Amino acid sequence: MDDWYLIISTLIFLVGFLLAVISLRRGRKGEVGLNFWLAAAGFIFQCLFLRERGELHGRCPITNGAEVLVFICWSVVILYLALGKAFRLSLLGVFSMPLVFVFQLIAIISLAANDPGPRPPETLDPWLEMHASMSLLAYGAYGLACIAGIMYLVQNRQLKSHEPGRLFYSLPPIKYLSDAIIRLLVIGTVLISVGIIAAFFMQVAPEAVHLAASGAVWLIYFVIVLVQFIRRISPKRLSVLAIGAFVFALVTLSVL
Amino acid sequence: MSIFCLGVNHKTAPVEIRERLAIAEKAVPEHLSEIRGIGPIEEAVVLSTCNRVEIYGSASDSGDALEKLVDYLVDHFEVEHGEVEFYRHEAEQAANHLFEVASGLDSMVLGETEIFGQIKKAYATAQQNGATARRMNKLFQQSFTVGKLVRSNTRIQQGSTSVGAAAVDLAEKIFGKLDGCRVMILGAGEMSRVTAQSLQSRGAKSIIVSNRSFDKAEELAKELQGKAILFDEWMNHLHKVDIVISSTAAPHAVVHKEHVEKIIDQRRGLALFLIDIAVPRDIEDEVNEITDVYLYNIDQLQRIADDGVKRREKQIEICRQVISGFLEEKGIEALAEVPDSRKQKPDFSEGPTAGRTVTDS
Repeated sequence: MDDWYLIISTLIFLVGFLLAVISLRRGRKGEVGLNFWLAAAGFIFQCLFLRERGELHGRCPITNGAEVLVFICWSVVILYLALGKAFRLSLLGVFSMPLVFVFQLIAIISLAANDPGPRPPETLDPWLEMHASMSLLAYGAYGLACIAGIMYLVQNRQLKSHEPGRLFYSLPPIKYLSDAIIRLLVIGTVLISVGIIAAFFMQVAPEAVHLAASGAVWLIYFVIVLVQFIRRISPKRLSVLAIGAFVFALVTLSVL
Repeated sequence: MSIFCLGVNHKTAPVEIRERLAIAEKAVPEHLSEIRGIGPIEEAVVLSTCNRVEIYGSASDSGDALEKLVDYLVDHFEVEHGEVEFYRHEAEQAANHLFEVASGLDSMVLGETEIFGQIKKAYATAQQNGATARRMNKLFQQSFTVGKLVRSNTRIQQGSTSVGAAAVDLAEKIFGKLDGCRVMILGAGEMSRVTAQSLQSRGAKSIIVSNRSFDKAEELAKELQGKAILFDEWMNHLHKVDIVISSTAAPHAVVHKEHVEKIIDQRRGLALFLIDIAVPRDIEDEVNEITDVYLYNIDQLQRIADDGVKRREKQIEICRQVISGFLEEKGIEALAEVPDSRKQKPDFSEGPTAGRTVTDS
């Protein structure tokens, strides 16, 4: 049943993305609003999938690569649903959809090819659960910052080229995008810091590679946020950094 | 019983005629009462704006009503028979015309929204003066629905249609709301004034005016409730402003790349929007190469405005399809179907962009 929840959720995100692209091409902003509700519907099925997997394992369902990808997608969607409107970035959802769709599709294929099955913990370590869930929530925030960064670069290019394309009128102002990137990076860094602090209390110390990889991700984002607050990074550079850092964070996931 | 519309607009009559037919707001109730006293006319709504004077109504014999209405206008306004080419629409044509007007398709600036509010006001005045009943109530309610439908389902409002509007739209695409934006004007010309006023209308507040003739700078600053500075001092204020409008009469560039490079670090990542509407240009092209700086000259703004007009023109057919679809679905027959007991109450609470919230049930 859990597979079906994931498939339905993925299909909803695909439909949401396609609908949003069509409505953007037609300039029907009203239909972009529908995207929010589709994201909410997809989120419900994500929750159902994660609940089933959680019950299967008897712990937070991040025991294999596929589950980790779904958990990151869940974090992206929950942050979009919670913050998208507050950041005046309803289109963030539209741009998030392809990422969520691709990640979940990989998860579906991966689980279909080889589902490792239940992996109950030998002993349940709440600090380990906290470390993992907070870190992956941070990945969600960084994922959204990366998407906002892409949106910023697209809009910036259109403004600089003096030839506004079709997306120009639908994309939000670059100020809102750069503000959103900063806030999302801060949120992500707070979450990952909590995750790392939790790691110090874990019953079993993490492997050195794991420690180095998560430490590197934390350090990169911490430095970006620190420099931003001390010196102010140009929004264009900040966008590039948000994209680059997220790509790096994704690469480290394979290690983690 | 049928509905009708009689009128002139900016396409059919020059301003000399329109101004003679214009009905002042205060005089509307009196005219409404007199028009309803004309033979077969039962209901009436007067829409009088800069670009149009139109009378909508319902009558037992709309053909006769239109003839008598022309006589009434000739009797009461300084126009002669045959001098004015009134357009006359009856039944579905009249509804279609009102729907196009409400959608901004008949406006001088295609897709503009001001007309929507003007129609609402005209209808409210007629309603308050007891000049409307079920047909006009239904017709105007439907026009509000259609106006919103068209605007939310097409791109008729998308894109700027003038240089000033293009500058303001670009500023909003950079800064979002212009509430906190600070503006500097270099050269106190007419174009600068108009552009600054457009920015002010969207919330820009702090305005600095710098001109070679300080008197002129002071004059414009006073008009815009801003501050005048000496022309030699503009460089010292550049880092404080978000938008620069330049239209000096200088024969060479006034703002160089070095000027902007010097201050951009002080802006701590905040964007700078430079609008160069001078010919010869005031701002070096290379300024646009600087990160977070956006430079537009008069030709680039004009191109955006031309593109906006073309985009809107391409939408006319789609808008008409929305209107005809609505008329096919709801039909003019619906105007006759509504029983008296279900008279519509007007909804003045929402603007044209509020979406499909008003229904004509």
